[in-house]
Amino acid sequence: MFAGRRRALRRRVSPTPYLFLLPACLLFLLFRVYPLVNGLWLSFTNARLGRAEYAFVGLSNYEKLLDDPRFLLSLVNTAYYTVASTLPILALPLLLAVLLNRGVACKALLRGAFFFPFTLSVVTVGLAWLWLLDPVVGPFNYYMRRIGLPMPSLLAEPQTAMWGIVLTSVWWVTGYYLVIYLAGLQDIPRHLYEAAAIDGASAWRSFWSITVPLLRPVFLFVFVIHIIGSFQIFGQVFVMTQGGPGDATRTVVQHLYETAFQSLFHFGSASAMAWVLFAVILVFSLLQFRILRGHAEY
Amino acid sequence: MQNTDRAISSTGTTARPPVRAAAVDRLSRARPTQVRLWIMTAVMAVAAVVWLLPFVWVVVTSLKPTPDIIRVPPEWIPWHLTGEHYNEVLFSSSRTARIGRAFLNSTIISLGSVALVLVTSAMAAYPLARMRFPGRDLIFGTLVGSLMVPNVVTLVPQYILIQRLGWLSTFQGLIVPEAGVVLAFGVFLLRQFFLSIPTELEDAARIDGANAWQIFTRVILPLSHPALAALSIFAFRSAWNDFLWPLIAVNKPDMFPLPVALALLRGAYSSESYGPIMAGAALSAVPLFIVFLVANRRIVEGVQLSGLKG
Repeated sequence: MFAGRRRALRRRVSPTPYLFLLPACLLFLLFRVYPLVNGLWLSFTNARLGRAEYAFVGLSNYEKLLDDPRFLLSLVNTAYYTVASTLPILALPLLLAVLLNRGVACKALLRGAFFFPFTLSVVTVGLAWLWLLDPVVGPFNYYMRRIGLPMPSLLAEPQTAMWGIVLTSVWWVTGYYLVIYLAGLQDIPRHLYEAAAIDGASAWRSFWSITVPLLRPVFLFVFVIHIIGSFQIFGQVFVMTQGGPGDATRTVVQHLYETAFQSLFHFGSASAMAWVLFAVILVFSLLQFRILRGHAEY
Repeated sequence: MQNTDRAISSTGTTARPPVRAAAVDRLSRARPTQVRLWIMTAVMAVAAVVWLLPFVWVVVTSLKPTPDIIRVPPEWIPWHLTGEHYNEVLFSSSRTARIGRAFLNSTIISLGSVALVLVTSAMAAYPLARMRFPGRDLIFGTLVGSLMVPNVVTLVPQYILIQRLGWLSTFQGLIVPEAGVVLAFGVFLLRQFFLSIPTELEDAARIDGANAWQIFTRVILPLSHPALAALSIFAFRSAWNDFLWPLIAVNKPDMFPLPVALALLRGAYSSESYGPIMAGAALSAVPLFIVFLVANRRIVEGVQLSGLKG
């Protein structure tokens, strides 16, 4: 009877589902799809703030980007940040998740403590670390001096400034990935570890032969989310270094923000930057799908 | 760490002769011995405390009078407790310290965005989960695909759109785009949840003459509290903490949400006066901290749903 009802529903096209979808589709079309398409169009125009008519200029915005040393530098810096932060962001939450998963009391509380920074805004996190890393009165440098590792001011030196940003980001997002890893670990059947233990495998061996291969879909997810997020890094840099010292921490989104909203108000060029960034992110994500694809079989 | 792992596993396994799998299974459930359990807990508790120190430092700083703040070596206990910095950022009439106002703005924006996301994505997720109609898979596929588009790609055109609508420096100019960002994820999350609800209840309601809207509001939504709560928290966090969009879309100081007000507060004070800045930073963390205390489990479930099935 119900199957018959469903078949009947399929035959006549009722307006009901479309009415349900209407508000979401309006929101989605106007604020997601239209800006996406319009942004691509803008990147081929000479759009500026206050200019009423935008003229089509072909690929000229993209060509100019190739000649813009600050844009290229920001692209390099962003890639540097992404690469530098990838290993800690893959490894540290995994280490914590594995340890939490091996049996601790108050697991929810401990997990919550690591997750807490992720509930803060990027500005709060940036301000906290700016203060911690303060070269004169900040505790970080004080304790480094005390243990005999006098550090140059992390954020003030061009060579190390990006690492200050990486440190801040790792602290911010580790809890998020920790929770993702924990879910992945809980999906791995226990009997695999027990079988391995009976065969005499050490915990280290089980980790590499069971945990790591079976977490492959989780690694893929973490990788892709991390790439999408870190190529768009902006808040930390805006709050902590403003792209300095020099242009050592200038990132693409910051460059885009300044181009479109601070100095030039050149929307066409900024849109071209956004699409270049989109392309880079897409390439990286697809590469990771390539490398890490494959079904986990239990 | 690896060494302890190894040692623990060897005591856990080689002490026993290999027995039938079921017996091993039963034994291993009890395996984390008390000693090992508490050692691990202590190690992780120390790690967690160290992990939280940066934020502890924010709170401690916000409670110290300025001369104590810049004292070296750093003092982790605020010996001379003061609320002066909170007083300043919340109630001072100075043009820069408008954290109180920003707090109100952020609350309005975040709650508005949560409401809009809940209504639009629940209404959309219901037919996507339960009805068959032409275009369904295309609509769902497009929504899910949009999750891969970085937000920065729509930044400039969205600014132009909001400007043309006359929505710059307005609540709707912040609420609607923030909701748009979370919408696709919300539809995805709720659809997954609706699919897990048994159809018998709906069929019974339909036999009793309920129409689709009645089934949606009286059967589906009341059963979906966990997913709706998870989505609310997710959307609230997203709107409360967003920085780049309000930085662009708001020009009037009176309309700044917290992250923007805080970032600009930093520029307004010299680097020595961390007190008011840290008071603002601590205040901005309060709402999500409370949500977090109350709904720790819900947040984790939300993240995990978003993670593994997205």
